[in-house]
Amino acid sequence: MSEPTPSPPSASRKPRRVSRWGDRIFLALVVIATGAIIALMVALFVVLIYGARASIQTVGWAFLFTKVWSPATNVYGIVPQLVGTLVTSAIALLIAIPLGVGAAIFLTQQAPGWLRAPVSQLIEMLAAIPSVIYGFWGLIVLVPLMRNVGEPILYTYLGWTGLFSGPEYGLGVITASLVLSVMAIPTVTAISRDSIAAVPRSQVEAALSIGGTDWEVTRRAVLPYARSGIIAGIVLGLGRALGETMAVTLTICNNNVLPTSLFSLGQTIPSLIANDFFEAATPLEIPAMLEAALILLIITLSINLGARAVLLRFQAGRGVGAE
Amino acid sequence: MNFDRSVRRKVFSRGMTVLTGLAIVAIMVPLVAVIYETLLLGGADLNLGLFTNGLPYPCSPQPGVTCQQGGLVVPITGTIELIALSSLVAVPIGIGAAIFSVEYGRESPFARIVGLVSDVLAGVPSIVAGAFIYALVLLYDPSIVFSTISGSLALAVLMVPIVARTCEEALRTVPNSVREAALALGISRWKATLRITLVSALPGIVTGVLLAVARSAGEAAPLLLLLGNACTHPLQGLNQEGCALPLFIYQGATAPNANYIALAWAAALLLLGLILVLSVISRLTLNRMAKRMRGG
Amino acid sequence: MSGTSGNSANSPASGDTMVRSKGKSRTALYAVVAVVVVVVIILGAAYAEGWIGGSSKTTSTTCASGATLNGAGSTLVAPLMVAWSLAYTASTLNYASVGSGAGITDITSKTVDFGASDAPLNPAQRAAIPSPGVVTIPESAGAVVPIYNLPGVSGHLHFTGQVLAAIYLGAITNWNTSAIQAINVGITLPHANIIVVHRSDGSGTTFAFSSFLSASNATWKNGAGLGHSTTITWPVGVASKGNSGVTATVQSTSDSIGYVDINYALTNGVAFGAVQNPSGNYIVANLTNIASAIKDSNVVFPAPTGDWYNVTVENAPGAQDYPIATYTYLFVYTDLGVAYGSSFSKNAAQNLVDLLAWMVSPVGQSYAPSIYYVPLTSATMTNDLKTISTITYNGGSLTACVP
Repeated sequence: MSEPTPSPPSASRKPRRVSRWGDRIFLALVVIATGAIIALMVALFVVLIYGARASIQTVGWAFLFTKVWSPATNVYGIVPQLVGTLVTSAIALLIAIPLGVGAAIFLTQQAPGWLRAPVSQLIEMLAAIPSVIYGFWGLIVLVPLMRNVGEPILYTYLGWTGLFSGPEYGLGVITASLVLSVMAIPTVTAISRDSIAAVPRSQVEAALSIGGTDWEVTRRAVLPYARSGIIAGIVLGLGRALGETMAVTLTICNNNVLPTSLFSLGQTIPSLIANDFFEAATPLEIPAMLEAALILLIITLSINLGARAVLLRFQAGRGVGAE
Repeated sequence: MNFDRSVRRKVFSRGMTVLTGLAIVAIMVPLVAVIYETLLLGGADLNLGLFTNGLPYPCSPQPGVTCQQGGLVVPITGTIELIALSSLVAVPIGIGAAIFSVEYGRESPFARIVGLVSDVLAGVPSIVAGAFIYALVLLYDPSIVFSTISGSLALAVLMVPIVARTCEEALRTVPNSVREAALALGISRWKATLRITLVSALPGIVTGVLLAVARSAGEAAPLLLLLGNACTHPLQGLNQEGCALPLFIYQGATAPNANYIALAWAAALLLLGLILVLSVISRLTLNRMAKRMRGG
Repeated sequence: MSGTSGNSANSPASGDTMVRSKGKSRTALYAVVAVVVVVVIILGAAYAEGWIGGSSKTTSTTCASGATLNGAGSTLVAPLMVAWSLAYTASTLNYASVGSGAGITDITSKTVDFGASDAPLNPAQRAAIPSPGVVTIPESAGAVVPIYNLPGVSGHLHFTGQVLAAIYLGAITNWNTSAIQAINVGITLPHANIIVVHRSDGSGTTFAFSSFLSASNATWKNGAGLGHSTTITWPVGVASKGNSGVTATVQSTSDSIGYVDINYALTNGVAFGAVQNPSGNYIVANLTNIASAIKDSNVVFPAPTGDWYNVTVENAPGAQDYPIATYTYLFVYTDLGVAYGSSFSKNAAQNLVDLLAWMVSPVGQSYAPSIYYVPLTSATMTNDLKTISTITYNGGSLTACVP
C-alpha cells in the first residue's frame, strides 16, 4: 500500500491502473503529434522529389540552366523563373529595407509613447491582409497607375540606365516588385524594431551623455548593436518575398521568359506553379513544376534557417558588450 | 566653426527624424489605399443577397443588358468548411507537439529539434504546401486530388507550425508552481496537463489558434492548385471540388466580366472583415483571460 | 475516498482555487466554442447537400439524377458551359475552363467525365487515348475574332489572314504600316507599336486561329513551331491564360491585338475586326454569317470513333460566310464502365448520357444564341443523338432520357 506520491486523505484517487493507462495513452497521443510534425518536414522533401522524379530523371541538371520553359516543345528550364524570383525579391527588399528600418528607428527612438502601440498594430495589420487582396488591388489600382503615370516617369528620368525600356504594360516585374515590397515591410519592421528595442539603455545613455544628436546616437550606438538582428529581419523578409505567390501572379502577367528590363513581363517560381499547374497538358509538365516547387523550398528554407541562426546568435550575444 | 558644425549636426539629425517619420507614412499608404479601395468597391453593392445567392452568369453591362449581381454563398460556405476541416487536423497536432516539447521533453534534445522543425515549417511557402499535398494525395487516391479535403490538408500544413509555436510559448509561461501544485494534488499526469496547465495557458493557445485560422482563411495559393473549380454550384461533398473566398477573389480578379469583378471586391471585403473579427477576438481573449490570471 | 478528483479539503493556495474556478468557466467557454464550430460545420454540410436554403437540386421524376459530372477543356465554350450548368438541374455539372489542350490531356488520363476542345483530336492524341476509345460529339459552334484596343478608332477594322499572320510573326510591328492602312482606307491608325497578345495554354481557339493563318500565309504554315496546333511557339507577343485572360489583357492594354471567341468580345464590349473571307469580302462576325459558314462548309461527319482531324468549317465558300468559324467537340468514352471501372456508377453513366443528350437537344441548344454561340443544325443534332446512343456501360446500352 505504499504509494510513491503522498496525497491528502480527502483527495480521491482513481485506481492506479486506469490513471497509468490514461497517462500512457496521453503520452502516446502527444508523441504521435510530435512525430507527425517531424514526419511532415521529411515528407515535404521526399514526396516532392518522388513527384518530380520524371522531370529530374529526364531533364537532369539542365533544368537549372536552361533559359527556356516551353511545354509545347518539351523544353523545361527554370532560369526565367529563378531570375524573375530573384529580381522581384531584390527590388522589393531595396524598397522594404529603408522603409522598414527607418520606420523601426522612428518607432523606437522618436515616436511619442502613445503613438507606438497603435502604429505597431497598424503595421501588423499590413501583414494580416491576405496577399490575394494585395494582388487584386495591385491589378486594379496599381497597374493602371504604373502604366499611365509611373512607368512613363521612370522612363523619362531613369531610362538612361537601360533598365526601364520596352512597352509600358503596367503589368510586369516592376509592379510585382512594388506589391511584393508591401508584403516584406512588416517583417523587416517588426524584427528591426524588436532588435533596436533590445539595445540596452546604457548604450543609448552613454552616447547621449557625450553630446550626440538623436541621429548620431542611433547611428553609432544603437544600429551597430542591433545590426545582426536587423539583418536577420531583412533576410526573413527576403524569405517571405521569395515564397510570395498571389500578389505576384496577379501583377506579373505570367510570361515564362527572361525579363530584359524592369518593365518586362515575367514569371517567378511561385507564380509559375500557381498559373500553369491546373492546366498542365503534357506529361512532363507537372513533374517539372513539382521540381520547381522543390527548388523553391530548398531556397526559402535555407534562407530562413540562416536568418534564424543569425537571430539566435544576436539574442545570445546580447548580454555581451557591443561589437 | 564648432558652432556651425553643431548646428549642422542638429539639423541633420532633425532631417533624419523627418525621413524616418516619412517612412512610417509611406508604409501606411498601401494599407490605407487597399482598405479604402476594398471598402469602396466591396461595399458598393452590399446586401443580403450577397450571402444567399449563388454566382451569376458572367456578364458585363452592355446597352440593353442588365447583369445579375449574384452572391457569394458558395465561396463563404467553402471557406467555413475549409477552416473547420483544417483546424480539426492542425490544432490537435500543434497542441500535442507543444505539450510534448514543454511538458515531457523539456530538457531533451528532441524537444529542441521539434522547435527547430516548427520554425522551419513556418517558412514553407504556401504554394509549396499546395504542391506537396498534390503530390501526396496523388499517391494515395488520384480521384480526390482536387477536393475540399486536399485543400484543407494544405492549409493544415501551414497552420500546424503557427499553432505549435504559439502554444509552446504559451505553455512555457505557465509557472512551474502550477504544475507542481497540480501533481501534488495527486491527479494523474495527463489530467494535470490537460485540465490545469493547458487551461492556464489557454489565452495564448486560443490566440495562436485564431492567428493560424486567420492566416489559413486568407490563403489562396494552395487552393488554386487543389480546390478545383466548383464555385458555380452549391458545394457537393468534401471529396468533391470546392470553392473558397480567396480562390474566388483570384478567379473574379482575372475575369473580364464586370459582375464577377464586383463580386470579387465584395468577397475581399468579407475576407478582410473575417480576419479583422478573428484578430479582435483573439486580442480580447488574450487581454481578458490574462487579466483574470493576474488576479481577480 | 469520495469527492471529485482535484478537490482538496486542505486549504489550497489561492492560485489553485483560481485555477479551478478559472478552469470551470474556461471549460464552459471551450464547450461553447466547440458547439458553435460543430453547428457551423453541420450547417455548412447541410447547405452543401442541398437540405437547406439556396438552389437545391430538383430531381426529375422519371430520369436519373443526382450525379456530379466533371468536364474540362476549351475556354472558348466556357460561357456556354456555365449557362448549361446553371440551367441543367437533374445533375450537377462542374466544368473546368482550362484550355482545349488540358481538356484533351484530362480525358486521356481519365480525370474527367468528358473533355471539351475546339480542336479535334490529332492522330497522335487519338492514339494516346486508352481503350475503349472516345467518341467525338460536336456540341456547339463559335467563331474566333481578332480583338484590339485602339481608343481613337471606331467601327470594325479590316484584317486579312496575311496581315494577321504578319502581325503574329512579328513582321508588322506598327499599327501605322502600309499593309494595315491599305485595307483600312479612311481610318487613321496611330503610330504605335502593336502589342500582340496570344494564348499561354494549349488552346483550341489557337488551333482555329492558327489554322486560318496557315491557310492564308505560307510562312506561317511551314514555320517551325507554327502551323496549326493547339500550342504554338509564338515568335512575338504577350501570353495570357484562356479566352478570358486574352480579353482582359487586350481590354486593359492600349494598342494591343488578340484573338478570342466572339462571345468574349461581345459580352465585354471589346472592339473586334472584320476578317476577309475567300470571296474577298470583309465580314464582321455575327450568328447569321457563322451559321451560314457552317452550312456552306457541308461537312460530312466521320464515324463517331473515327478520325475527325480534317473536319473544318473555316474559309467556307459562301460570299457572306465568316471565315474563322469552329465547332467545339466533346470527347466521351464509348463504354463508361470499361473506361472508369467501379468508380463510375451506372447511375452516373446514365446521368452523363442524359446531360449530353440534353446539351445537343433543341432545349439545350436554345441557350446558345443569346450568348453568341451558334446552335447545331437539326441534322447535326440528330447525328449527335445517334452517337450518344452508342455510349454503353459495361456493354449495356444507356437510353438517354430527356425530361
